Amino acid sequence: MAERSPVGGGGAARFVGASVQRGEDLRLLRGQGRYVDDVRLPGMLHAAFVRSPLAHARVVGVVTEAARRARGVVAVFDGEEIARLARPRASIPGGTDDGGPPVYTLLATDKVRLVGDPVALVVAESRYLAEDACELVEVRYEALPAVVSAEQALDPKSPPIFEDLGGNVIYGPTTKAYGDLAGTFARADLVVQAKISQHRQQNVPMEGRGIVASFDPETGELLVHAATQGVNTTRAALAAQLGLAAEKVRVLAGDIGGSFGLKFGISREEVACAAASRALGRPVRWIEDRGENLTVSGQAREESFEVEAAVTREGEILGMRVQMVVDAGAYPGLAPMVVDSVREMIPGPYRLQALEFSATVAVTNKASYVAYRGPWAAETFVRERMVDLVATELGLDPLEVRLRNVARRGEPPLRMVTGPPLAGITARESLERMAELIDLPEFRRRQAAARREGRYLGVGFATYLEPAPGPRSPDSPPDPGELEHQRMRLEADGTLSVFTAQMPHGQGHETTLAQIAADQFGVDWEQVRVVVGDSSLSPAGFGTGGSRFATMAGGATLHAARELRSKVLEVAAQLLDTGPERLAIVGGLVVGEGAPAGGLQLAELAAAAERGLLPVGTDSRLEAEVTFDGGESGWSGGTHCALVEVDCDTGRVRVERYLVVEDCGEMINPAIVEGQVRGGVAQGLGAVLLERSAYDPDGQYLSGSFMDYLLPTATDVPHIEIEHLETVRLDPDVNFRGVGEGGMIVAPPTLCNAIADALAPLGARITEQHLPPSRLLELIGTIGG
Amino acid sequence: MQKHQEDGRVLAGGQSLIPLLALRLARPALLIDLARIAELARLGEWEGGISIGAMVRQRVAERSPLVRQRAPLLAAALKFIAHPAIRSRGTVGGSLAHADPAAELPAVVVTLEAELVVASSERGERTIPAADFFSGHYTTALLADEILTEIRIPGPGPSTGFSFHEVSRRSGDFAMVGVAAAVAVEEGSISGARLCLTGVADRPVLATAPELGLLGVAPDRGVFEAAGEAIAARLRPPTDLHGSAEYRRQLALVLVARALRSASQRARGDNEDRREGAPA
Ligand SMILES: Cc1cc2nc3c(=O)[nH]c(=O)nc-3n(C[C@H](O)[C@H](O)[C@H](O)COP(=O)(O)OP(=O)(O)OC[C@H]3O[C@@H](n4cnc5c(N)ncnc54)[C@H](O)[C@@H]3O)c2cc1C
Repeated sequence: MAERSPVGGGGAARFVGASVQRGEDLRLLRGQGRYVDDVRLPGMLHAAFVRSPLAHARVVGVVTEAARRARGVVAVFDGEEIARLARPRASIPGGTDDGGPPVYTLLATDKVRLVGDPVALVVAESRYLAEDACELVEVRYEALPAVVSAEQALDPKSPPIFEDLGGNVIYGPTTKAYGDLAGTFARADLVVQAKISQHRQQNVPMEGRGIVASFDPETGELLVHAATQGVNTTRAALAAQLGLAAEKVRVLAGDIGGSFGLKFGISREEVACAAASRALGRPVRWIEDRGENLTVSGQAREESFEVEAAVTREGEILGMRVQMVVDAGAYPGLAPMVVDSVREMIPGPYRLQALEFSATVAVTNKASYVAYRGPWAAETFVRERMVDLVATELGLDPLEVRLRNVARRGEPPLRMVTGPPLAGITARESLERMAELIDLPEFRRRQAAARREGRYLGVGFATYLEPAPGPRSPDSPPDPGELEHQRMRLEADGTLSVFTAQMPHGQGHETTLAQIAADQFGVDWEQVRVVVGDSSLSPAGFGTGGSRFATMAGGATLHAARELRSKVLEVAAQLLDTGPERLAIVGGLVVGEGAPAGGLQLAELAAAAERGLLPVGTDSRLEAEVTFDGGESGWSGGTHCALVEVDCDTGRVRVERYLVVEDCGEMINPAIVEGQVRGGVAQGLGAVLLERSAYDPDGQYLSGSFMDYLLPTATDVPHIEIEHLETVRLDPDVNFRGVGEGGMIVAPPTLCNAIADALAPLGARITEQHLPPSRLLELIGTIGG
Repeated sequence: MQKHQEDGRVLAGGQSLIPLLALRLARPALLIDLARIAELARLGEWEGGISIGAMVRQRVAERSPLVRQRAPLLAAALKFIAHPAIRSRGTVGGSLAHADPAAELPAVVVTLEAELVVASSERGERTIPAADFFSGHYTTALLADEILTEIRIPGPGPSTGFSFHEVSRRSGDFAMVGVAAAVAVEEGSISGARLCLTGVADRPVLATAPELGLLGVAPDRGVFEAAGEAIAARLRPPTDLHGSAEYRRQLALVLVARALRSASQRARGDNEDRREGAPA
């Protein structure tokens, strides 16, 4: 168990570390959440998009007359019309927008670049009527050959998707090297090579994208209800896109039905709706349907790697040479940033001495690359699969190879070869504990016996570090954009309001921040109101993502609550004519020497401050504002293990046991931590066994419904056994670390390693991540492929 | 029906039709809801077997002791359809009339030599043998003005065992391949066998004991595997995202052998194969 935080004023910690039931759950489970789909405004209109049926084509003509005359239709906008209403260049969430090529528009004008590319926007009295009218919009296309793989895109003869890009490479090739690569390869006994790939998969939040945009022609203000991971980011992007002053834009977000990285900033469709609202002077609503969500909202992970590892006979991995190619889909997005993270993180907790890493990002006629839970996860997949391939080649047990290479805390190297400090890591402990938990020697005996009966059992391990946000690096101070700002106020009724730029979308922030604030301040956690989702109240900050919440917002809350407590005690001391050091806040009351018997109610104190009963010159605003830089911060991480059985007649995989040994620092709420781990593992198992965003050779999307994009359901997810490691405290106060992405980062290699272990006697060499039953039978040669 | 032949559509449990409407793939001008016709929801004895009204919900049939006793194959197969919530609305008749090439129930009625009763207001009733009912992807022998009203399933023969095996991507998904099997074993040798595959063609694929080389032989693993190979060799299954033709052929081979084996074991009274036969 994690240690409990010391509390200065209020006595022992009571809430942090306890699995208090989430405050948001009653509302959500009773169907009383308020999502963007629940917003109804007077005069509201409904939008639907005409979308491209082709992956790559020139748009020759868009005829909207018939649609304009259709029943209930208020307006139809083609790409050119939208381009006149909003900045023609689209901003893709997370994308780099440096003004350079490629240039493209919100809705397609000259060309369509993927199936589902929006071509026109119909606004009508209902969604049904809008969709009816979409069918009346005639678009003439001149089909072009589709570019459907990175391999095709890298062929200089492939048709350019963006004419101004001069080819289909949007980033790179770039190469960076660390350490003495030539030396490590010269010293190696062996070089192990593999081409390892991840397949295309996608965020499938229960709630898709959506917006209700309402422009008021009188005030010139735009009010937007959005499903977003950060109201400030959405506001900034919308203002820039529409040429409005940021002050004229207010973004509200209610409950959000998941995101996993999809809902950052604002999407092309959403900007188009806001532009339409501005043009029409009426609210316009668009709620993405599941077909749109699966086809065009965004996809991730399609990356391939040529890897060479220089190893010794004893299994020491000295150096690696890696070439990464990303299939980034049609419109520029997050891929270049992901490349940087993958490169930096690929050494993981291992003592790698040298690395050469090159990367190229290609555009293709497929959905655009977006962030998906642990966007840089390829570093763990590639490394952990490679460790097992090295073990196989050397005839060593994969666990042994991991233990041979994993860094020891406090011993050199103190940093990854790429730079990040290895402070506080517990990777070795997690591996050792995992080996105990599964009794590896016993498993190997059972596995051998099963093989004699023609049954194939396997065990797989994988170890990871989650930069959540990662230890403070002396040479790279935090970027100003990454600081966490927070405001906290004691309200007149004695409750505490916490204003944060975080935007919970399933993580339970309303509960966890309340737990921290309550302990630090000295009230019950139910007395704390966490205020999110209003850009007019939010402190600065980009929102929720990158596993930053626990450290950054948790830390900001801790410090803000301490500061506010001191301030409140100062005021109380003035009122009670005593010294603040004699007072404390306990259970919502100011108590101590000079306080009335039974304590002074916080509400009374707040009322007194409000009525100006304090001596002149006292700062009577019961508010604190802090900025937190993350403190010493630290890694989350751990080891996962899967025990599986593969039915070699049908290719079906049964997960016998799935175990997690993890360290996310001091747990604020263990139930929420475990929920995050389980959810991530479920998505990771889904990626390996079920989920694939598939295209045909013409770029038609094949996984456009839940009949074909298969998510794991409750019956497909095994029981997950979780153990938490003792935390190494790096910061005097804040040792909460993020845990949102780790499960999804490490589950795919864990399961692939287990399957590979099961199939080893049949000669299967697994270098890919998607292993549905049919593929497993191909890999063991039962069927061709 | 008579009036709206072309643009009307019968609505049963809605578990296939409503998704088609939502995706704008079906656009009938009119829906005729069968839910309130009480006669269509009857479930009872029929000669030695059972009669099931077309509107009997799949979940009701699955839980009926009569079905379990008189049509154990149907009871076994129903559990593989979707999830309980869907089976609570979906109907037995709807599944047959919809004729999805990967559905379980068509294979069951063909294996059991059921009779399907259909009716039109103009011509009254007629009876179609199950083997003649399915004519291709989502198409049946039903005429535009007819509805399916009743399914009559003969009772189990003596010394006959049944089993249903399938492999799907997840529990509740349509089968990639499913096999319904009925095997009769008398005095240590097979006296009859019928089996039917789903998911491998545009309609259920039937094979009988003589074609399978099973008549008069002792039930053992070897003959069942040989039967599986023989059938698999003549299949031309479809390829889709979830499995190639070759993968489906492999599944057919494996599942035919497994289904025959467990049916023959049940015919002899031992039920040791629960592990394989039960839905995941
Ligand atoms: C998520 C999901 C998973 C599913 N998985 C499976 C599965 O694994 N296996 C499986 O077999 N099915 C599966 N189904 C389909 C389910 O079994 C349907 O219930 C069934 O196919 C249709 O029955 P229904 O009563 O819902 O018919 P409806 O959807 O109401 O109708 C289907 C069609 O049949 C016609 N029809 C219905 N009744 C009659 C009648 N009496 N006479 C003439 N025409 C009629 C309708 O006009 C319509 O064209 C699944 C469905 C869902 C939603």
